Amino acid sequence: MITTLIDKQDSFEIIRDQIAAILKTESLNQMQIAGTEGKDPQGWALRVYTERSNPWEQVLNDPTDNTPIVNVWFSDSTFDPSTSNISERQASESTFNIDCYGIGVSRDDGDGHIPGDKEAAFETQRTIRLVRNILMASEYTYLALRGLVWQRWPQSVTVFQPQSDSTTVQQVVGSRLTMRVKFNEFSPQYEHQTLELLSTTMTRAGDGQIVVAAEYDYT
Amino acid sequence: MGIRQIAESDLGLILEDSTTGFGWPITITDPDGTTGSLTGFSDDIAQVIDPETGQIVSGRLASAVVRISSLTTVGLALPRGIADANIKPWIVEFDDINGTAWKFKVAQSNPDRMLGVVSLLLELYQ
Repeated sequence: MITTLIDKQDSFEIIRDQIAAILKTESLNQMQIAGTEGKDPQGWALRVYTERSNPWEQVLNDPTDNTPIVNVWFSDSTFDPSTSNISERQASESTFNIDCYGIGVSRDDGDGHIPGDKEAAFETQRTIRLVRNILMASEYTYLALRGLVWQRWPQSVTVFQPQSDSTTVQQVVGSRLTMRVKFNEFSPQYEHQTLELLSTTMTRAGDGQIVVAAEYDYT
Repeated sequence: MGIRQIAESDLGLILEDSTTGFGWPITITDPDGTTGSLTGFSDDIAQVIDPETGQIVSGRLASAVVRISSLTTVGLALPRGIADANIKPWIVEFDDINGTAWKFKVAQSNPDRMLGVVSLLLELYQ
């Protein structure tokens, strides 16, 4: 039986949360840099979530906040026995999906207007740009988890076709950056029993005979 | 009077009766700024959006239906969706049932020239 409580996060959970934390931290950092350079910080704002599956209702009930939404979720893992050991460490290659939602609302623009469908597509592509640049920055070569993560790589980017069967008051375009991350998972280990203490003294007698004197407690 | 003329005439009762029917005040503005006040059907309800990520987004679906002959009466042409970003869109404004005013642009116009009504699919406009 396993004698200890399995009370830890697996590496894939740590990495999922780390990806979200990096994105949020760097989004705020970019907003600050943009502010110091006299640019509108809103262009670097992201709303970051992990593993959400409820609908994004704020799009409906708060139409004034069109900040792009990012949802980081774990998809799948494969394990490579050739670079693992059978008792403790399993080398894993996992997929993390980073879904980005760009929201566009049509609005006035001088003599013309900014169409919401174009705005939503541009917003989701801007979000993908930010997410990929942040995660592939050299500062995050190992996702700030050196020793655990070996490699992170953007496997693909997919922008989904906007729905065309009905026109909603806000345009929403979804896209997905698929990240592959290689890392180790660890499993509980057998708790060894303490050995009996045993001391020995080896001497060579004058006639060349080897003499071993052992001292140990016994009952 | 033929049956189609009778049907068009009945639109006055079906679409434009705001006293005992479902008629609702709607203001339409064309790209040149010409505004007309009409009575028709307006609709603004929740509608889920599926961006194909496997997760739906709550959205809204808004539409309006007005009589084509009434558009002509107030000096407006048939509204249409404007793709060109250098031109103002057709604007539709109406209040919800609680008196909150909403402003939309015409995203798509579906006229029924046989019966004389036009359905307007709307997008929020800021």
